[in-house]
Amino acid sequence: MTSGFWHQVRAVADRDLLRERRRGDVLWITIPFGAIALLLVPLAVGTDAALLREIGPGLYWVIVMLFGVLVAVGKASSDTVPQQDASLLLGLDPAAGFVGRAAAATLLLLIFEVVVGVVAVGLYDISIIGVPWLILTVLIVAAGLALLGTLTGSIVNSTSAGTALVPLLVAPLSVPLLLGATQAYEGLRLGHSILSWVLLMVAVVLVVAIIGVLTARPLQES
Amino acid sequence: MTAQTRTRRWPWAASALSLLGAFTLAMVSPADSVQGDLVRIMYVHVPAAWLAYLAFAVTFVGSIAYLVARRLSWDRIAAASAEIGVYFTGLTIALGMIWGKSTWGVWWTWDARLTLTAIMFFVYLGYLALRRTTDDPIARANRAAVLGIVGAVQIPLVHFSVVWWRGLHQPPSIIRPDGPAIQDSMMLVALFVGVVAFTVVYVSLMVKRIELMHLDDRLDAAERAGDQPVAGEAVTAPNLGGSA
Repeated sequence: MTSGFWHQVRAVADRDLLRERRRGDVLWITIPFGAIALLLVPLAVGTDAALLREIGPGLYWVIVMLFGVLVAVGKASSDTVPQQDASLLLGLDPAAGFVGRAAAATLLLLIFEVVVGVVAVGLYDISIIGVPWLILTVLIVAAGLALLGTLTGSIVNSTSAGTALVPLLVAPLSVPLLLGATQAYEGLRLGHSILSWVLLMVAVVLVVAIIGVLTARPLQES
Repeated sequence: MTAQTRTRRWPWAASALSLLGAFTLAMVSPADSVQGDLVRIMYVHVPAAWLAYLAFAVTFVGSIAYLVARRLSWDRIAAASAEIGVYFTGLTIALGMIWGKSTWGVWWTWDARLTLTAIMFFVYLGYLALRRTTDDPIARANRAAVLGIVGAVQIPLVHFSVVWWRGLHQPPSIIRPDGPAIQDSMMLVALFVGVVAFTVVYVSLMVKRIELMHLDDRLDAAERAGDQPVAGEAVTAPNLGGSA
């Protein structure tokens, strides 16, 4: 991959981040929505502190999966057909477009994870343990979700169902990430090695990244 | 023998083998010493699960082949196989639930194999839903092919889930390093006949479904051509200003 490729990646990522700065979809809609979901659950399952401490970490990751993916999909499917045509005419490499959108989504997802994480720690009294591994898990999940959401957003872009179809496609595919993240926290809590779970998540990230890069052109052409 | 004659023979072969399978599981296989007659569900449950794997693996191969060769025939193979796979995954889950209720006392348990099979079912349900969102056959094939490749990650996950996680679902009974766990030869025969019968049913359904998809595509193309303006329609007769 040439420096021109990475220059295009940077340009696409900058454009998406600029768009987010102007519109504030993640900051003003998705993050508050995630925080409200965390607030609603105790009203449904009960406010017993021990129970909430027990289910808190798993619930946090479920919220990240279900709401966080909207961040990536929103960025991936925001281009209209004329915009896509213009990108093609300007010579934008579709693979660079995919990587750039995923990179911007990763950064936004990291912000989402951190803010919602702080809310979850506050509401559910979750213990922060194994900080380096926890940071690594948060990073991998952000990258994995961003890649999955970007790929799915590209698939459904300009279809009649639009983003309505996305949850059905992404939710089942994000299961390895959910399993990896929740089991990693559980492993840290019990003092076990979490390397196998981290490797599982890294494998998912790599597989989705490779498929996304290789199929970017046929998806753009469709 | 023409291709049409060969096509017509598959449903007959599938029907005959299915009847043989039904006879074998009902009459030839003995009842299990622990499960009793409930074991007979396994002769349909296991072949249905095998067929789901086969069907989704064919979807994976068809998706890759389409993206490489860009021929719609590969897309039809992938799509037809996914439809059949979804049906047989549903059948696998339903039969497993019936068996589970009698054996474990619950319709559903959060075992890794069960949960991942249900997830695989929804992944391919999404694949079929995606195909319905686009009329353009090329765009539909491109998008579905990508999902057909991503979705295939589920197949090894489901298969090896009984090895990686210890749950209620039993580990592999036939393909094992130390030979099949089933000792009774009649039980193995019943299972083998079931697998062969279901595989022929799969081929039969595939042949018919691909044929139907081909006809659907031709019909769509003809309809789209009919919607186009007729050549010269934009040209109107000059108004010369005279009265008729």
